[in-house]
Amino acid sequence: MENLNKAFGRLRVLNGVSLTVQRGQRHVLIGPNGAGKTTAFQCIAGLMRPDGGTILLEDKDVSTLPVHARVSLGMACTFQKTSLLDGLTVAENVQLAVTALKPYRFRVWKPLSRHGDLRQDTREILQACGLWDRRDQRVNRLSYGEQRTLEIALALASKPKVLLLDEPTSGMSPAETAQTTALLRRLPRSMALLVIEHDMDVVFSIADYITVLHHGEVLVSGPPDQIRANERVKEIYLSGGAGPRA
Amino acid sequence: MSALAVQVMTGLAYGMLLFMISIGLSIIFGLMGVLNLAHGAFFVVGAYVALSVLRGVHSFWVAALLSVLVMATVGLIMERTLLARFYGDELSQVLLTFGLAFIIADVIKMIWGARLQSLPTPSAFDFSFSFGSVVFPTYRLLVIVVGILLAMLLWYLERHTRMGAIIRAGVDDREMVSALGINVTLVFAAVFAFGAGLGALGGVLGAPILGMYPDMGFDILVLSLIVVVLGGLGTWKGALVGAVLVGMIDILGQAYFPSLARVLVFLLMAFVLLIRPAGLFGRRGAVS
Amino acid sequence: MLLMLSLPLFAPSSITGLVTEIFILALFAMSLGLIMGYAGLVSLGHAAFFGAGAYTVAILSQHVSNAYVLLASATLVAAGLAAVSGALFFRSAGAYFLMLTLAFAQVLSSAASQAPSSLTGGSDGLNVTVALNLGFGEINSQTGLYYTMGGAFLIGYVLLRLFVSSPAGMITRGIMDNELRMRALGYRTLDYKLFAYTLAGALAGFAGAMYTYFNLYVTPDFLGWIFSGEALIMVIVGGAGTLLGPALGAAFFTILQNYVSFYTDYWALVMGVVFVLFVLLGRGGIVHIFRSLWGMFFRTGPGGSAEPQNADDRTIPSARKGEMS
Repeated sequence: MENLNKAFGRLRVLNGVSLTVQRGQRHVLIGPNGAGKTTAFQCIAGLMRPDGGTILLEDKDVSTLPVHARVSLGMACTFQKTSLLDGLTVAENVQLAVTALKPYRFRVWKPLSRHGDLRQDTREILQACGLWDRRDQRVNRLSYGEQRTLEIALALASKPKVLLLDEPTSGMSPAETAQTTALLRRLPRSMALLVIEHDMDVVFSIADYITVLHHGEVLVSGPPDQIRANERVKEIYLSGGAGPRA
Repeated sequence: MSALAVQVMTGLAYGMLLFMISIGLSIIFGLMGVLNLAHGAFFVVGAYVALSVLRGVHSFWVAALLSVLVMATVGLIMERTLLARFYGDELSQVLLTFGLAFIIADVIKMIWGARLQSLPTPSAFDFSFSFGSVVFPTYRLLVIVVGILLAMLLWYLERHTRMGAIIRAGVDDREMVSALGINVTLVFAAVFAFGAGLGALGGVLGAPILGMYPDMGFDILVLSLIVVVLGGLGTWKGALVGAVLVGMIDILGQAYFPSLARVLVFLLMAFVLLIRPAGLFGRRGAVS
Repeated sequence: MLLMLSLPLFAPSSITGLVTEIFILALFAMSLGLIMGYAGLVSLGHAAFFGAGAYTVAILSQHVSNAYVLLASATLVAAGLAAVSGALFFRSAGAYFLMLTLAFAQVLSSAASQAPSSLTGGSDGLNVTVALNLGFGEINSQTGLYYTMGGAFLIGYVLLRLFVSSPAGMITRGIMDNELRMRALGYRTLDYKLFAYTLAGALAGFAGAMYTYFNLYVTPDFLGWIFSGEALIMVIVGGAGTLLGPALGAAFFTILQNYVSFYTDYWALVMGVVFVLFVLLGRGGIVHIFRSLWGMFFRTGPGGSAEPQNADDRTIPSARKGEMS
């Protein structure tokens, strides 16, 4: 059963990249720096327009849809460079994320706080991500790791079918990385994940399927064991590629 | 037909004056991110300073030179003392310069009085020449020539000097330039002073044609802003083309469609922005 | 509060008139404060909407006398202008937007100035004879106007309050903070910005219409960028991150204008200096000053204040590098 599919032709950065993410699959995208991972990510998420190729979500062509339209179809993404609502609290950030798909998001009279289901949903997400205790903290007072976790929490709020994560553990301490990995593993199987990662430990602990990108092309795709044993992959990573941590 | 020719030349001259003031506004914004709403002050105060100088010295050119130097210095001081601390906080800069514009307008009133004044046309050029059936004031032609010379100078500076390259690079990516170890502070100060001086030049040259009054800074500023938006921020070519366009349309508009003149200018700007949201030559992320 | 309610009864008529004027200008300033403090849009052309409302009443009153029709038309015209200009100008970011709004206001001002005298009174402005009749008699006494304008101010304030705490309002605030993020969350940010802008424009137009009833005279200056700039000063001096801040700024500005011009011709200088001082000191305006004083006497717990906590640090919106360019 197909969930998402991307076929590309975009010269110079991405050249005929194709990948498929199955429903509920934990699909990790790896590759040395400059391989084109972030570009691919941005095209899938809707942040960048590809020069050629299509992106399908459950057989629906979303290639030309702007980023905000993809959310209601079930795609959510996080940013490599943390992008949150800095002046608001953690709870307010999540509230806004949750409200995005609620019918009352256009309402101009009833105060947001009075919408009961909002509180419930916000609480669930915050607790699932371990941010409940920090809910009244202003985002710009959070630690870096907490901010990265909030990024994920915001993406989860829309209950997406496909969750796109761009280097979720980048810059994190080992403890934070472990926490985040645990969080990712806890995510429901109904949700597919497409993750860009550099940390090999994280990659192998969550991946069902790995695609390796190199110089803008798909080098090889397959289950973790296959990739681990692949000579070319080892060559690339040992000689000139990315280390364990970005 | 000759009347049209005269109008066109006048429009061109007016455009050149706008070019001189808009250049500073555009480059300063493009490079430093400072939208100086008091920029019109350089133009106006420059003219007034020349007026004062002329009371003692009887040479238009000396007055012009002194005025340019004085205003460049004032600009330098302004940049160092008031604006430098707000780099990065562009909104504060805008507000600050806005407040300054008000203050300066009143200061002008205090020192020079509120009535309309003007500078006499320099005697060397105070005549008209005839070209066929066209009778045209030579002074305006001079203004056009000065404008063209300025454009050539800028073209040369940009293409063939390090300074030009630095400015172009800086407009594209400010952080990168400072990361390259170039003394950004010096560059900013120099650019600001240069822009101020040019504005003053425009003011002095324009005074015999346009006159001067305390609130003139505001009116000139509005036109400059339109020029800069139209032409694109951070580019002298944009300032030139924009200024000539605005100058022509304003003058021609006043001659043939008096009640629509300013509206026409705005329509032009709106039209250009619709097809090129960053202005004709603009590049830096001006589109949201 | 009690003072405000009973003012006309004991104060000299000059003061009553002054406060009445402040009510209207406060409404105008608050509408600008909305887009600046909650949508992150800095505009130097907000007076265009005020003036449009004022002129609509001035011109239409020659043919129609029903106050409700006049007020509604004025508000609609202003809202329409805001919607159209917003849709066109939002494609351009920060500084471009600012310049566009400025130019827009100037064009309208020039248009009013140069239009045939019979229509707009040209550059001299238009004298208006109109009396506010809301269904229970003509209101043209000082006291009547005072209470009416005070009522209008209250209505405006309540409307703004409602919007700000509504889902749409909170979303708009989020957009101001990080538009890209909000788009990634699924919001059509343009719609929200446009709504806030139109609402603000409508309120400004309403204020302008009221002003015509009060002032009985309109001039192209009501449309121009200098008046817009004065509103900007009111917002900043009063405090940009809150709803009432701009109202306080309006009061401060108007009082200063009236008393300083009594002593000197150069009141713009004084106002400019005061304004520059406020900008240099980088505080959240008068509201912040009050808050600091209040905070010195009472410690408020987390989330205990009526205004959301983040209003404290939001002195001036979008003070981030590259935000305006």
